[in-house]
Amino acid sequence: MNRRAAAALLSLWLVLSLRANPAQAQAASAPTIKLRVFAGGSGQRPDLTRKLLATYMQRNPGLLIETEAGGASSDLQRQYLSTVLNAKDPAIDVYLIDIVNPAQYFGAGWLEPLDAYLGEAATVLKPYLPAYATSNVIQGKLAAMPAWADAMFIYYRRDLLDKHGVAEPRTWDELAAAAKKIQAVEKQAGQPALQGLSIQGAPIEGAVCTFLLPYWSQGKAFNDANGKLTLDRAVAARGLQQWLTMVDQGVIKKNVAEVKTHDTNNEFKAGQVVFALNWSYAWDRYQQDADSRVKGKVGVMALPAVAGGERVTCLGGWQWAVSAFSRHKAEAAQLVRFMASPEAGKLLAIQGALLPTSAALYTDPDVVQAVPWFKDAAAGVVAGKSRPLSSEYGRVSDIIRTTTSAVLARTRTPEEGAGDIGSRLGRVMR
Amino acid sequence: MTPAPPLTWLDKLRDPSERTLGVLLLAPALLLLALIVVYPIGRLLFNSFYDLRLSGGSGARFVASENYALVLDDTDFWNAAKNTVLITLITVPGALAVGLGLAMLANLPFKRQWPVRLALLLPWALPLSFCGLIFAWFFHTEYGVVNDLLQRLGLADAAEPAMWLLRPGWAFTAICVAIIWKTSSFMALILLAGLQMIPKTLYEAAEVDGASRWQQFSQITVPMLMPSIIVALIFRTITALQTFDIPYTMTRGGPGNSTETLAMLIHKTTIDYLDLGYGSTLAVGMFLLSLCVTAVYLRRVGNAA
Repeated sequence: MNRRAAAALLSLWLVLSLRANPAQAQAASAPTIKLRVFAGGSGQRPDLTRKLLATYMQRNPGLLIETEAGGASSDLQRQYLSTVLNAKDPAIDVYLIDIVNPAQYFGAGWLEPLDAYLGEAATVLKPYLPAYATSNVIQGKLAAMPAWADAMFIYYRRDLLDKHGVAEPRTWDELAAAAKKIQAVEKQAGQPALQGLSIQGAPIEGAVCTFLLPYWSQGKAFNDANGKLTLDRAVAARGLQQWLTMVDQGVIKKNVAEVKTHDTNNEFKAGQVVFALNWSYAWDRYQQDADSRVKGKVGVMALPAVAGGERVTCLGGWQWAVSAFSRHKAEAAQLVRFMASPEAGKLLAIQGALLPTSAALYTDPDVVQAVPWFKDAAAGVVAGKSRPLSSEYGRVSDIIRTTTSAVLARTRTPEEGAGDIGSRLGRVMR
Repeated sequence: MTPAPPLTWLDKLRDPSERTLGVLLLAPALLLLALIVVYPIGRLLFNSFYDLRLSGGSGARFVASENYALVLDDTDFWNAAKNTVLITLITVPGALAVGLGLAMLANLPFKRQWPVRLALLLPWALPLSFCGLIFAWFFHTEYGVVNDLLQRLGLADAAEPAMWLLRPGWAFTAICVAIIWKTSSFMALILLAGLQMIPKTLYEAAEVDGASRWQQFSQITVPMLMPSIIVALIFRTITALQTFDIPYTMTRGGPGNSTETLAMLIHKTTIDYLDLGYGSTLAVGMFLLSLCVTAVYLRRVGNAA
């Protein structure tokens, strides 16, 4: 090849690479609008989301909605979305986020406020439970729409409690005593590995609630209305000590700092656990999963209190948000309106046992028939507490869960752990 | 005869000189290189002088060297730096020793060599995060094969299983074991190539002269293998300083932050905390540390060679 030919080839390459991609131009003129929805991991039931989206597509011809699912836990999903949204990628139009995230995403400018599309926040959120109406409004703007609620409950083996004549415990001490009584007999009867209580102690998002539950139950607030930390270190240390005492009593297993939510699920389903602390979605797993050995033997109740304290639960839940980088924000906002509607909430409650975010659905006859325990759950959800709403939630969550896990692994004492959380968060939550 | 019209730039492009053509042909590659190497590093340095907390929503704010002052005071940074250096100091010689053994083994005159070489390649072909997950299972308190073996051998009490990943020292050891397993096959591969370059006649001559096995190893194999060893060590050291996947999947840095490496701290700061400015400063810190270690190391190893 001579020099002339090489130069010609080079210029040809330059010209070709500068021309716009013809495929892109064509797609823009096509009549269908494509939306891409991130629907969370298997715990968030993307199968049900797909059902709802199929209904929506039937009603809105000209709309093509793709679903994307993944991320085993809330923090892994947050990492994935952070990467996509930080790159200002318009690929995802609508995404599902945990209740703790709207403030952070709003602060980062990743979500499109929905007021302009759906109306004023106060009016739009009126039918929803107070906790969800509050956490989706950031600086007066409608940041996201509640999809379904979640709260922690105690699941228990109704058959074992009946067999041993034990009533539903109302305090953690009663729960420990009941568990010990059942464990002692069952261990003789050939169940040596039977756990009294399963809680999550691995450094995952769930461990934030593991820390907060016994703290809140002693009647203390973690933060004030402005998000400033109001931690009482002595109370926090007592709360952590409660779990360690239960480990010493043999009620909670020794390697609790290794336990993730799916460990609790699998071990409860295998019949190795008497009481399990878990989110509301677990009910369906225990009753419906093919590998569950405890079908029809499960009871569910509100969380016990610390002695002399109040019964309180940790709220979770999921919200639909529209990406600030979406190219079809108006269409995406309408989709979100549908996904947060009572119609969608009813399907999720009946088919997935996911707690509704609107109060009316808890007494809906179809819902009550499908999931009878929801009518008792409503009071717990209303009285439940939210984890701190902070634009720095990533940091807040990491500090709490890492420290809690270290205390449960006994590399820090409860006092040291409470001190670490206090001094580190004191600088973040001001 | 009329004078030739002056050459325009288009004419020059149409019939370029050797030199111009060279520049032209190199330009795309250089541009690409600048885009993927110079731009990110430049951007990193630039970001490290800014307060870039996405959660604040206030936009970038120039803070000069404030981030750097914070890094020097940050106990998390020094803890992660210590862990990273320790992992490097333990796993690089560890992988060299195991890798050398494996390479010598694979170099033996087997009838069929491919199964041995394949077995050698497998750990290297496995993604790092899979390796971490596999070893996390191995060391799991209840379901792990390590505790099961120890109990079967009567070395551990079934009622008090060891909680490998929940004790800082043991968790660190478990991570080092996983890293050595994963990386020694890469070492072995490079060393095997080196071993095969050593002429057989040298060993034959040594045998005639009455040299023992050990003498053959220390007088022939090691000196002849030195260039390969140095290459392998340099590669391994650089990757060891960037350790992320295996501790992340095995312990997530726990218990507490006792097994957190620098790469994990940077990931946490940027992706979880969305603090891009401070994360960039930490990355510059890691870059400087890598630079120091590699420089000292190259000097030492270079002198020895």
